[in-house]
Amino acid sequence: MNLLRLAWAYFSHRLILPVAALSIALGVAVLFTVLAVFQGFLVEFEGNIRNFSGDVVVEVPRLVAQTEAQYKEWLEEVEGVSSAVPRLHWFGLVGRRGSRAVDDPRSSDLSGILMMGVDAEELSIAPAHSEDALPMVMAKPLAERLGIQLGGIVEIVTQRAGGRRPVPVRQSFELVDFFHTGRFDQELDRVFVRRADLASLCRTEPPFTAWKIRGEEGLAAASLATRIRQNFEQKNLAMFDQPRVSTWRDLGGNFLRAAENQKGILGVVFGFIVLVAAYQLIATLLLTVAEKRQDIGILGALGASPLRITGFFVGLSLLISSLGSALGLLLGWFLAHHLHWGERLLGHGQPIFRQEIYKFDHIPVAVDLPSIAVLLCATLCTSVIFSLLPAWRASRLQIVQALRQR
Amino acid sequence: MSDTNVSPISANSANPAGSGTAPSPVLATTNLHKSYRVGNSTLHVLRGVEMELHTGQVTALMGSSGSGKSTLLQLLGLMDSCNQGQILLRGRCIHNLRAGAAAKVRAQELGFVFQQFQLIQELSALENVLLPRRIARGLSWFSNRGQERLRANAVLKEVGLGDRCRHRPHQLSGGEQQRVAIARALVSSPPVLLADEPTGNLDRQTGNDVLDLLLNLARTRGTAMLLATHDKQIAARCDRILHLEDGQLQ
Repeated sequence: MNLLRLAWAYFSHRLILPVAALSIALGVAVLFTVLAVFQGFLVEFEGNIRNFSGDVVVEVPRLVAQTEAQYKEWLEEVEGVSSAVPRLHWFGLVGRRGSRAVDDPRSSDLSGILMMGVDAEELSIAPAHSEDALPMVMAKPLAERLGIQLGGIVEIVTQRAGGRRPVPVRQSFELVDFFHTGRFDQELDRVFVRRADLASLCRTEPPFTAWKIRGEEGLAAASLATRIRQNFEQKNLAMFDQPRVSTWRDLGGNFLRAAENQKGILGVVFGFIVLVAAYQLIATLLLTVAEKRQDIGILGALGASPLRITGFFVGLSLLISSLGSALGLLLGWFLAHHLHWGERLLGHGQPIFRQEIYKFDHIPVAVDLPSIAVLLCATLCTSVIFSLLPAWRASRLQIVQALRQR
Repeated sequence: MSDTNVSPISANSANPAGSGTAPSPVLATTNLHKSYRVGNSTLHVLRGVEMELHTGQVTALMGSSGSGKSTLLQLLGLMDSCNQGQILLRGRCIHNLRAGAAAKVRAQELGFVFQQFQLIQELSALENVLLPRRIARGLSWFSNRGQERLRANAVLKEVGLGDRCRHRPHQLSGGEQQRVAIARALVSSPPVLLADEPTGNLDRQTGNDVLDLLLNLARTRGTAMLLATHDKQIAARCDRILHLEDGQLQ
């Protein structure tokens, strides 16, 4: 585009054109921020689930007839499985030692808790200092809620497996370490203990309730889950012995799907801001064509064909939208990475993004390059489409009449 | 050099080289007609104009206001279309070209100098001069941009504005703006230059200076120039004079 210099001269001398670029920039910035936040949620949530539960989780029915070794063999023989780690998940009620909560379940001090029995290969749990307590790792929010610190003791009440009547058991656990996932709900509702300790406490047989499966790099979790299901189907297990195989996406459940839907819906809704900003280009360019009739006549007299004049105005529109998009990306990136400024401004110092609502103790942000590429392409294509009418009008001007304007 | 009695299609007087055989004209028209519809009536502006322009020859086109001078220049410059007749540029019919092809002819073979200068206010003098080259270059990135810039600078020096390259039109006087317009018209070295009252917006002294420059450049470069004017003194300095009255060359 050799008339780009003229387009730039117009841009730099006519305020209306940078203003049009600025409106596109604002639209792109808002959309960038929204997409970055939702992508952040999705990425963080995915990372969190995969880190916690693996790519695929195999949940074993109660009182399954097979042994741990048998299960491990069946899982590891599936093509694409890189590791299979057993876990023992057991629910209980937790309360601080000395509090009356454990003895008085009406108290609000008592919390339901998921005890995750893991092996050292997954999480190394240091031994407890107290002789009558088992070691436990919990997150800081739960420790704060229970009012304990490292070395503190909590009481857990649960029941043993099997038997006709439930047999309650009570065990002291010493907090030996903290874990952090960034997910507020997870940090409140679960603790890690040694699997052997938990199995012994609850007398479960076999000593596992789930398997955390990691797939080979690049293998989709859904296809890995299908292979595992097919492998179990070939084992001719009794109907009640069939395990439930879930991918990390299944485990994400409604929150993950809601975040994905929200990202799509808000992308479309905020996309209209960009669309309106680009639509404004029609008015801006029509005004420019009206004001620059004489220049169009000069271009024609100097040998610019109607097609070239069309191209010039399309190029001018592209210049405006490109600069607007570039500025919008920078602004969006800045906004996305300084959300706390907006939070402070909008909330008058009070937090808006509460972790109880948004699950994470921070607002995650991730730039989704394909989405940004689509955003840029859509903006530029829209600006080209919207410039066609003004450009066509400019190309239809009669040189002689255009030159007469003063 | 003035020749007020020259026949409109006479080739004899249009032989600056002075050779025995008449050279073929650079630009010629035959039986050129142009009319406009005004309400229910038709306004005939040009009625069968026949003329020739020759290399290195400056031709004055005189006529009163509304005689059709500007219309003739617009037709010759392919900025408007005729109703009847032919325009031949170097023997090639150009009056019925499509818009794209006509634009190419304007870019490569015709130069224009307007009464109102017609410079783009947002561009500097140098950029205004470069504009025809940028248009002629099309979408190609591979032409020698540096060479073009040097050439535009040289033409600006020729018109005496070597030190005003970076000035924008509003920072130049009327005479200087017209000089920029002349440089722009000549930067592509077109064989034909069409000038419509080039001194009409200038005071007498400045107009004379600009005219001197224009005539000098056209003659030294061997450009065929048609200069529309209603000023007899200006016409008298041209090589030939054509009178246009009621749409016909007298």
